[in-house]
Amino acid sequence: MKASSFVKSFLRVAFPIAAVLLFAGPLIQAPVREVFAAASVQASSSAQPGPQTAKTEPPPPSVAATARKGPELSPEAAAGAALFQQNCSFCHGRDAMGGETGPDLTRSKLVLADRDGSTISAVVREGRMNGDKRMPAFQLSDPQLASLVAFIRARVVAARAMHGGRSGVDVADLQTGNVQSGIDYFNGAGGCIKCHSPSGDLAGIANRYQGLQLEERMLYPRGAKSTVTVTLPSGNKITGTLAFLNEFTVALTDASGTYKSWPAGAVKFKLDSPVLAHVDLFSKYTDDDIHNLMAYLQTLR
Amino acid sequence: MKFLKFALVFAAGAFLARAAGPHRLAAQDLEPAQLLNPPSDSWPLYHGDYSGRRHSRLTQITRQNVANLSLAWAFQTDQPAEIKSSPLLVDGILYFTVPDNIWAVDARSGHLIWHFNHPTTIGEHIGHRGVAMYKGWLYFTTPDAHLISLNAKDGTVRWDKVLGDVRRGYWSTMAPLVVKNHVIAGVGGDLDNLPGFLRAFDPDTGAVQWEWDATTPAGTPNGTTGGMTWVTGTYDPVLNLIFWGTGNPTPVLNGASRPGDDRWTCSIVALNPDTGVLAWGFSVSPHDTHDWDAVETPVLVDADFHGRPTKMLMQSSRNGYFFVLDRTNGKSLLTAPFGPTNWALGIDKQGRPIPNPDKEPKPDGRFIAPDEGGMTNYRSPSFDPKTGLFIVDAHPSYSIYFTKPADGNYGWAGADYGLWGKGVIEAIDYQTGKIRWSHEVGAGGSGAGVLTTDAGLTFTGDSTGDILALATSDGRTLWHAQTGAPMQTSPITYLLDGRQYVLAGSGGVMFAWALPQGAQSADRAEAHASKK
Repeated sequence: MKASSFVKSFLRVAFPIAAVLLFAGPLIQAPVREVFAAASVQASSSAQPGPQTAKTEPPPPSVAATARKGPELSPEAAAGAALFQQNCSFCHGRDAMGGETGPDLTRSKLVLADRDGSTISAVVREGRMNGDKRMPAFQLSDPQLASLVAFIRARVVAARAMHGGRSGVDVADLQTGNVQSGIDYFNGAGGCIKCHSPSGDLAGIANRYQGLQLEERMLYPRGAKSTVTVTLPSGNKITGTLAFLNEFTVALTDASGTYKSWPAGAVKFKLDSPVLAHVDLFSKYTDDDIHNLMAYLQTLR
Repeated sequence: MKFLKFALVFAAGAFLARAAGPHRLAAQDLEPAQLLNPPSDSWPLYHGDYSGRRHSRLTQITRQNVANLSLAWAFQTDQPAEIKSSPLLVDGILYFTVPDNIWAVDARSGHLIWHFNHPTTIGEHIGHRGVAMYKGWLYFTTPDAHLISLNAKDGTVRWDKVLGDVRRGYWSTMAPLVVKNHVIAGVGGDLDNLPGFLRAFDPDTGAVQWEWDATTPAGTPNGTTGGMTWVTGTYDPVLNLIFWGTGNPTPVLNGASRPGDDRWTCSIVALNPDTGVLAWGFSVSPHDTHDWDAVETPVLVDADFHGRPTKMLMQSSRNGYFFVLDRTNGKSLLTAPFGPTNWALGIDKQGRPIPNPDKEPKPDGRFIAPDEGGMTNYRSPSFDPKTGLFIVDAHPSYSIYFTKPADGNYGWAGADYGLWGKGVIEAIDYQTGKIRWSHEVGAGGSGAGVLTTDAGLTFTGDSTGDILALATSDGRTLWHAQTGAPMQTSPITYLLDGRQYVLAGSGGVMFAWALPQGAQSADRAEAHASKK
C-alpha cells in the first residue's frame, strides 16, 4: 500500500460514525491538549422564566448582599449579576474573583484591557476551548452580554477598592524564596540548566511574565510544542510539530502548515517532547524548591 | 437443512415479536420492590442497582464480537449543556437530564416521547445527574434547589417542593435515591458557608420525612459548614442502611476557623433510610483544605477480604486514596493511594490520611497533588466481581493552592491553579490496593464513568472524545468510536428484545451502541407494522 493512502484528514469535531477500528498500540503520553475535564456550565438559552410551577419564594438577594462588599450595582449590572450567578459563578466565584477552576476576572488582563466590552462578549459567545482552556460557549443575547460586562466591571471597581486587603495572588506574595538556593537548584538538583539558559531563552523572562503567571509557566509551560517524526511503511520519514495524539491517531503539522494524520498503529513515530522534563520534576519538588526557583527567575530582567 | 434454519429464525422471530409487543404498551410503573433486583431490561436506579457497582450481567456483547459494535441510534438534545446524567430505563423508556430539562426517549429507537423544559433563572446551572422513579412518578432536582415530581407518562408536574433555600446559596444537581417509600435528595452549595444535608420526601405527597445535617449551622464556635450531598448514594437492604459521601468543608481553602476533623465533611456516612439517623461515619479527608469532596460512589461489595467473607464498602476518593471499609460498622480494612498524592503525613490507626499542616494553602502557595478536580470526580467507577478489580477513571495531577488573610473565611477563601493532569483508567485490586493495570486516556483527563459487564468488558471514554471498550482482564482496547466530545456520563447497558445496548452521552448527544441487527431487525419491523 502506498504511504500516501494512509494520509487522511481527521475531522475532530465531526458527527460520529461508528468507526470500527482495532488498534491496541501503546499510548504515548504527551501533552497534546491540556484539557481539564472539569465540570462545565450550562448556558441558559433564555433569561426568560419558564412556566412557573407552584413557587412562592421571593427573588434572591442582589449579589452585593452575598459577595464581598462592593458598591451598589446599577440595574444593568444587577441583571448581569443574576446571569453571572447562574452561569459563571461556579468557576469564577460569586464575586468574579476566582473560584473552582476559573480565574479571578477582576485581575484578568483581557477584562482590564477591554474598553467597549467586545472582547469579553466574544469570549463568552465563543468559549475558550482551545489549548488548556475549558470554558464553554454561552448563547446570550446582546443585552444579556452587556449586563454581564456591566457586572464584571462593577466587580473590578469593587476589587480595586479593597486596597491593602486585596485577595487573590499578588506578586508580593511570591517573594519568600532565596535567590542563591534557586540558582543552586537551577544548576543542580532541578536540572533546568540542561534545557534552559539565564542568558539565552530565559533572558528577561521576568520582564515578560510576572507573579503567578511566571510561576505557572515555570512549573509547566502550557502550549509548549513537541516534535514528532513519523516513519511511513515505505520507510519515508516526515517530521513536524505534534498536532494530535491519542492511542488511535497521530497527527503533525508540517513545515508548510499542512495537517497530516495517520492511524497510530499503522506507522512508527518518535516523539520529542522536552516539556516532559517539567512533568518529571513534579514528584520531586519541595515547596522551598519552587519558591527559591521563583526568587531566582524574578532576577532575570 | 435450509428449511430448518428458516424455521428456527421464524420461531425466534415470533418469540421476539411477542416479547416486544406488550413492553411497548406497558405502563411506566416501578414498584419499590423491583429495585431490589432489577431485571436486565431496565436500569431503574442512578447506579443501575443499589450496590453502586455499575456491573451488568449481560453477555451478548463479548470480547470477541465487540469489534462489530455500531451505532443503534443517537439522540441530539439540541441545546448547549453537556449531558452529565446517568439515564434511567424503565419499561423501555429512558429518562435523562441536563439542568432544567428531562427527555423521555424510546430506548429501542431513540425517538423522543416527551421533553420537560422549565428554565429556572436563579441557582447554579453547573450540571445535572439524572432522575429517580417511584411507581409512575419521576423525581427531579433543580438549579434553584427544588424537588419536582412529574408524571412519567407525559412529564407533567405533580408537585414541587423546596429542597434547599436558593437565597442562602443551595442548588441541586443530583439524582435522588428511592428506598422503600422514601425519596432521598441532597444539595450543593460551596460558594457560601452552609451546612450540607440529606432530606427524605414522601413519594406521594412530597412531605419531608426526615433531614440529616452533615454539619453545624454557620457561626457555631469551632464548627464547620459544608458537607454537601451532591452524588447519589447506595443502599444495603439487609443492613437497612444507605451510604452517602459528603463534600468538602467551608470555608473551602482556609481551614483556620474550623479546627479538627470537620465532621461530617469529606466523609462516608451510613444512615437509616427510615429515620435519617446516623449509624456510623468515616472521615475520608479529615480537615480538608483542598475541595476534595468525598462524594464518589460508595460501592457495596460482598466478597472475601483476606480470606474472610466481608460486607465491604469501597470508594476511590477525590483526595487520591482508595478506601475499603467494613460497611457493617465503618471500620477501615484498607487505605491506599491510587495515584500521586503529597498532602498527607501518613495513614492513622483508623485508616484515615493524616493531613500535613504545611500542605494547607498558604500565602506563597503550596504545590499539591492531586489538583482540585481530584484524583477522580463524580463519574462512577465500576467493580467487576469476576476479576475483583475496582476500575476507576483516575486523574494524576498537580496544582498550587493559595490562601491569605485578605481571602477571608467565607466561601472559597483562597485561590488554586491546576498545572497539569492526565487521564488514566486504573484497575485496583481491592485486597491490596495495588494497581493491576492502567490505561492512559489522554492529556488533561477524561472525565468518563466506567461500566463493566460479565462478558469481561469495560466501557469508558478518553479525553479526545472516543468511547472505549477495554478488556477487563488487562485493559487493552478492543473497540472505540469517536463521538466529537469527551464523555461526561457514566455508561449504562440494557437488553431489549434480545438486543444489548450500551448507552453513553457525549456533549449534548446520547449515543446507543449495539451489535449490528441480524434476523431480529426484520422481525421487529414486522411487529411494529402489524400494530398499525
